[in-house]
Formats: sequence, structure tokens, C-alpha cells
Amino acid sequence: MTVESTVEVGETPEPADPEVGVEQQDFNALEWVSQQGVFVFTALLLIFAGIFIDGFASVDNITDVFNRAAPIGIVAVGMTFVVISANYLDLSVVAQVATSAVLLIAVSNSYNMLLGMALGLLVAIVYGIVNGVAVGVFRANAVIVTLSTTFVGLGLLRWASGGSIYFGDPDGVIATFGSTEIGPFPLAMLVLILVTLAMHFVLTNTTFGFLVKSFGSNRHATRLAGVNTPLVVIGAFTVCAFGAMLGGWVLAAFSNTAVSSMSAGFDFEALAAIIVGGTSVFGGKGSVLRTLLGVVFVSALTNIMVLSGYGFGYQQMAIGALIVLAVSVDALARKVGRS
Amino acid sequence: MTQTATLDLGNGESDLIGRIKTTFARRTEGRAVVLLIIVSIWALIWESTVFTAYEVTLGRLALIGLTAVGLTAVILMGELDLSIASILAVSGVVMASFDNVFLGIAVSLTIGLVIGAVNAFFVVVVGINSFIATLGMLFFLRGMAFVISDEEPVVMANKDFALDFGKPLIGEFTPRVLIFVLAFIAMHVFLTRVRVGREFYAVGGNREAARDAGIPVRRRVFTGFMISGFVAAAAGIIVTLQLTAADPTAGGNALLTSFAAAIVGGILLNGGRGSVLGTLLGAASLAILQVGMTFNGVESDVQNIIIGLVLFFAVITDPNSIRAVLGSARTFFRGRSAPDPAD
Repeated sequence: MTVESTVEVGETPEPADPEVGVEQQDFNALEWVSQQGVFVFTALLLIFAGIFIDGFASVDNITDVFNRAAPIGIVAVGMTFVVISANYLDLSVVAQVATSAVLLIAVSNSYNMLLGMALGLLVAIVYGIVNGVAVGVFRANAVIVTLSTTFVGLGLLRWASGGSIYFGDPDGVIATFGSTEIGPFPLAMLVLILVTLAMHFVLTNTTFGFLVKSFGSNRHATRLAGVNTPLVVIGAFTVCAFGAMLGGWVLAAFSNTAVSSMSAGFDFEALAAIIVGGTSVFGGKGSVLRTLLGVVFVSALTNIMVLSGYGFGYQQMAIGALIVLAVSVDALARKVGRS
Repeated sequence: MTQTATLDLGNGESDLIGRIKTTFARRTEGRAVVLLIIVSIWALIWESTVFTAYEVTLGRLALIGLTAVGLTAVILMGELDLSIASILAVSGVVMASFDNVFLGIAVSLTIGLVIGAVNAFFVVVVGINSFIATLGMLFFLRGMAFVISDEEPVVMANKDFALDFGKPLIGEFTPRVLIFVLAFIAMHVFLTRVRVGREFYAVGGNREAARDAGIPVRRRVFTGFMISGFVAAAAGIIVTLQLTAADPTAGGNALLTSFAAAIVGGILLNGGRGSVLGTLLGAASLAILQVGMTFNGVESDVQNIIIGLVLFFAVITDPNSIRAVLGSARTFFRGRSAPDPAD
């Protein structure tokens, strides 16, 4: 069967005995859906949408999907590090994206763009260190910590900006970057691909990436091996913060405007993309390239819902259900695998 | 106090200092007491209207405290329920959609129980971490509130009932405050005097040991999530009655404040330790803080920053966190590895 031929995990021997194979088959099916399912589901979704949804396959729409997917994708790629390190997720990306977007446009308008970028970088480092120290050194729950930093960060941003919308210079560098397209591909897509490749390299080819994975799969063993584990956690949150910063810049460039509420929903769309891609919320397992595929899936799904007239509420329901469903499959696959 | 004195372990520390030490080691409400004292002094000096207009403060306390009391049941078992924010929104929207108020209330409360059971199903039967399961539910239900309400606030048909609900019922107390007081007493009795409630601590302290001792762990987790769902639904109804309309975006701040109240109140996030009394103290200090800031003209953004900071510092001063930091510090200064306290 194709099911078995695509299983990557070589530890499960091919069942020679058909009687033993029943349970093995079961295990394989769930494991397969959680690991390889995204390839099939994404392909099916794209084929379905191309045939049945009017306007999905048009160049304009595809550019639109890419424009929407790029910032979320960059955020999701960065957040993959936090998820792989078994720290669940970083809810504060909502605040981080909006802060870096507003800083970029507002500071570019009154001073210059490089200062705006430098300030964005500084903010990202602060977020990475604050979240990372609270989770890594203090061992606090990542969900609660990042929930609190979200409120503090968004509160600071709204208070400082007064909730106003900043419009960028229509002929400036930012606007030019946001409107440049190569065929149907906006420049933002190129940034997403470059960031993904860079992050993939970091995760697979550096000691830091190895330690993030190893911390995620067994933090106790990693610590006993003499690794400075708090630094690994701080690093993971900082990578996530860099992703959020870049995502914010791309988002600001696309519309050439920035406002504190522009990143609503980034937290769970990014999480959905990561989990659907097959990165496990239990940590230790996952890949940045998979997240990219998850982003394609989630963005295509939201776009199909928009084109079919399902509003914001339905999209939230779909993504919430998707998160629970994908994690359930992963959890059940582990359960069956253990028994 | 007397309770801890009789529980003296007999290791010679029967003097006053020893007693105080044991009391402090046993109680979990310390941070809530400290915050309450600081906030009360601040309020007394700069914004004494918090105490003269106490019905406002009590109303706020009832709102923060109610969801926090429900949350306490779940956190005591070492689980989290993030979906309460959306349960609040959904129950309000559903309640306001019915012309008959009592039917609406009954349906909303049932929905709260059902959502709690669904959460527990994913946590216990499927085996997902409760943070992720209830986070998914948070998004799903927020979407559902938008869908049911058509993304518009739903105005109640029967406004008279809602207005009556805001009037004092017994003495100065409005039904809202009385419901909270009842919920608090019920929860306190449940967790300290009822066997099922006592078993919540066992489940949170050591799940394997609880299972071996014959406690039906799965049923207890179901009970906890259903309590939290039910209470959040009740809070949604109360907010809707207060505003005479249901807001589908409600609940964002309730999530922050109720978590802050429970965690400041000393409910250990890993489960097994804490008391509803602590939650009450935490909720009271946050209520005084919020009402005081509002009277003082502090912008809502700044209020969010301050409450967010309270939650942040509460979560990193958790006893486990303090132990982890002290452990790392010891390793750092003495250069040898200390046993890992959090694993």
C-alpha cells in the first residue's frame, strides 16, 4: 500500500505477519495522517478549489493569497522553534507583529526607515528575552506568560500610538517593496521563502537547532547532558520574535499602513499552520518546511471560505476546529503507538 | 491558624516562630494578601471612592471572581481552561437571542456544561494537553459567537428583567453580588468539605497516585471542566443582563483578570495546591485595582498593561518558579549541579 511506502519512521518494521499487522496498520494510519497527511490534504484542497471555487485559480486571487500568507508564514516559521522546543506557543506574536509594523511606518515618517527597523529589532530582542527568561529560567507556563506579555505589549502600543492609523509615504521604499510583484508572486513571498530556508538551515544544521529539538523531546536529559537549557529556550523565543518582527514589516509594506489592531488572529493562524504541517505540540518533532506547507493549507482554506462567502466567524471556527483536530490525530497516534 | 497549630509535626518547633513558619509554609495565599494590602493602601490614599462607592467595587469583584472561582476547580487539577473567555461570549449571545429570559438562561447554562464536557473529552479521552485543547476551543467558540450573533451585538428582548437584575435585592446587595457570594461559599465547601472536591487536590497533586488510590481521575477532570464551563456561562449571562445586550467580542479581559486572580491567589498551575479563599483575595485586589484606576481616570490601555504585569509577575513568582530560579542560581554560584526541582 502507498500508506506504508511513504512512512518515514523506519523504526516500525513492516508487518510480515498479517495477523500482527492489524494493529500496526492502525498505528501507521494515524501516524501517517499526522505526519504525511498535510501533503495529500493540501493537494486535494488546491485541486478542489481550482475546480469548484470560482475565481480561486485566477492570477489576482493567487497574488492575494500570497500577500496574506507571507506575513503569517514568516511568523509561523519563527514560532515553529517555540513549538518544537515543547513550549506550546507564543501568543504574544500578535503584539510583536503590530509593534514592529507601527514602529516601521511611524518612525519612517518622522525620522528614517533604518531607525524604525533598528527599534523593531530592539523590541524583538526584548520580547525574546522577557518571554524566554520567564519560561526558560523561571519555568513558568508559556501560555500564561505570553498571554500576559500580549496584554502588556498591546496595551503599550495602543497607549503610545493612541490607536491611530499610520499611513506610509506612497512613493517610499516601503510602499515600493509592498507593491512589487514578480509575475503572480509578490516580493513578500520571496522574503517568506528566504526566511524559511534560513530557519530550516538553523534548525537542521546548527547546534542551536539540534538543542531546540533535543530540549523539546526530553528536557531533563538535555539538561543532564550539561546543556544550558534556559539559553535554548531564550533562543527559541528570540527566533520567534525575529520572525514576528519580519512578519510585521512585510505586513506593513503590503498595505503601506500600520495600526495596533492589524495583527489580530496571527497567533492562532500561525499555530494552526504549524500543527497542520505536522510539527508536534508535544515537542521535539517538526520542521520549518512543513510549517510552510501548513501555511499554504491554512491560507488556501481561509481564501476558499472568503470566496464562498463565509465570514470571519466561520473562519475562526474552522481554524479552531482544525487545531483541535490536528492535535487530536497526533495525540491518538502517540497513544496507539505506545500501546 | 488554629488548624495549622494542631498540625504541628512535633519537630520541636512549637514556639511562636515555628508556628508562624509552618503557617507560612502551608498557606498559598501570601502573594494575594501582599497585593491586597498594597492595593488597599494605594486606594485609601489616592482613590478612597473605591471604598465609599463599594457597590461598584463589589460588582467588579463579583464579575472577576465568578470566572476565577470556576477556573480554580480546573487549575487545582493541574489543567487550564482558556475557553472560558469564549464561553462567556457564546452564553451571552445565546441568552440574548431568546425572547424568554428564563429559557435563554437555561439553554446558556446547558451550553456551558456541554462545552466543559467537550473540553474534558479532549483532555482526558483523546489525551491532548489542556492548554492546546482549550485554546482551540477558545478560537472555535469565539467564531461561533460571531456566527450566532451575525457579528453584531444582540440586544435583549426583555429589558425590564435585566434592569430589575441590577437593583439591590437584599440590603445593598444586587443579585449579581449574591450569586458570586453563593458561588464562592459553594465552591469553598465543595473543595474543603466534600469528598469529590477534596479529591480534586489529589488528582492535581499526583495523578498516578490518585488513580492507584481508587479515585476516578477521568470523572473528576470531567467534573472540573464542567464546573468551569457552567460558571463561565453564568458569568456571560450576568454580563449580558448588566449591559442589556450581548457582545460577541466579550471575554478577552475576563480571561486576563480571572487567570490573574487565580494565580495571584496562589493556585499552583501544576495543580494540587491552593484555595478558593486565595482566589477571592486575588479577585478582590484586582477589583480594587481596576475600579481605583477607572475612578482615577487611567486609560483602559494602561489598565491592561498593569493587570498584564500583575499576571506576569504572579506567574513567575509561583513557588515552583522560585525554586527553579534558586536552583539555577545555586548551580551558577557553586558550580555544581543541583537536582532539578521542576522535573
